[in-house]
Amino acid sequence: MPENRLQRTGIALAALGTLGAVLLLWMVFFWVPTERTLGIAQRIFYVHVPSAWIAFFAFGIVALCSGVYLWLRDERLDMAALAAAEGGMVFCTIMLLTGPLWARVSWGTWWTWEPRLVLTLLLWFVYFSYFLVRNATENPDQGKRFAAVVGIVGVLDIPLIHVSVTWMRSLHPQPVVLRPDGLSLDPDMFITLMVGLATATMLFLGLFLMRYTVECLKREVDQRRTGSRAAQGA
Amino acid sequence: MDYLRVIWTVARKDLLIEMRTRERIAAMGAFVVLVGVLFNYSIDTAIVRPQEIAPGIIWMTIILGGLLGIGRTFHLEEEDGAFSGVLQTPIPLDALYLGKTAANLVILSLVTVLIFLVFGVFFGLSFGSHPFVLLAVVFHALLGFVGLTTLFSAMSARTTMGESLLPVLVFPLLVPMVIFGVSATSRLFAGRPLSEVAGSVRMLGAFAILSVGAGAMLFRHVVEE
Repeated sequence: MPENRLQRTGIALAALGTLGAVLLLWMVFFWVPTERTLGIAQRIFYVHVPSAWIAFFAFGIVALCSGVYLWLRDERLDMAALAAAEGGMVFCTIMLLTGPLWARVSWGTWWTWEPRLVLTLLLWFVYFSYFLVRNATENPDQGKRFAAVVGIVGVLDIPLIHVSVTWMRSLHPQPVVLRPDGLSLDPDMFITLMVGLATATMLFLGLFLMRYTVECLKREVDQRRTGSRAAQGA
Repeated sequence: MDYLRVIWTVARKDLLIEMRTRERIAAMGAFVVLVGVLFNYSIDTAIVRPQEIAPGIIWMTIILGGLLGIGRTFHLEEEDGAFSGVLQTPIPLDALYLGKTAANLVILSLVTVLIFLVFGVFFGLSFGSHPFVLLAVVFHALLGFVGLTTLFSAMSARTTMGESLLPVLVFPLLVPMVIFGVSATSRLFAGRPLSEVAGSVRMLGAFAILSVGAGAMLFRHVVEE
């Protein structure tokens, strides 16, 4: 069964991601140099930033799969959107937890109305709405369509929200990777960041594939149950 | 022209019903006046001048009052199962959405005029010397707001959570409206140069186009049976 292959691939990626997480922890605590101005607390950067990238990447997958699902009505696309949304919510939550921890140490406050934090909080709520509408209908197919609409409207509005909140003054450290004039990060720090990103990506993809497989099996069970009830009724 | 006629027919029908029942507009009107009273007591006028925070209060009142009324856009038709009848007619569903949005825009515009009048009286506000620019700011923001809330109102009416779901769906997406609406309004009230307002008007225009465009494209997926 193709689900078995997907599940095995998912488990393998998750295992690689776990090993990557162990390597990342070693690099963060023992290898990477301390940032000169931000100090030791800056090391949370290597978990915080990859989580942010994956949260937004996952949301892009949700929006893409949702859009094509509304067009083609292929159940696999809905399952992929659901799996991506769950993984994305995990990484979004990690980002929302690590951000205030860093803020508390660096700026002395748990929360600032800093544009990227606000954007992530709003993204979390869009994910939350996705799950809320999905489960708030009596007809499951209707719930899938509603969730797809939320995913699409969310992705259209997120860039506008980003411009809005960034337009206001920001305390957040300025970009050091994605800058127009190029990288301003120490090479060792860049390597650690890339290891963090690779780890987060493998963990996300592993979770995604495993969740997708579980959802495939769940729907197969539901279909067989419905079929046997119909047969008994006949 | 038939398409525009459909939009007009739907909007006219909703506005006629509202004119005869005055159900939504009465509730929204009473709500915004009472909110003004409550806001007055929530501010310590010894520390904060209401005029300084009036734009924020005005826009939050528009949002809360708007949700109250627009959340019930499909309520009447859903109650009697009449909406199924509407869906059986051969009208384009995006035209149905635009008609409902147009009617909601008219209703919310009337309530917004009331908000500005009431808050102007309660807090002694001056609205600046560029009324048409203020009108443009309010129009674009309201259009974006009703575009989103009409779409999600159709969705929430068909869930087990009903209208209580609508704020959760809509609030995260309204942040651009609040940021640029409050910014432009406070600058206009303070008599700042129009160049400081132009960017906000453009962003509100983009918000309106995005909201109504997305709503028109996605409405059919929300209402199909």
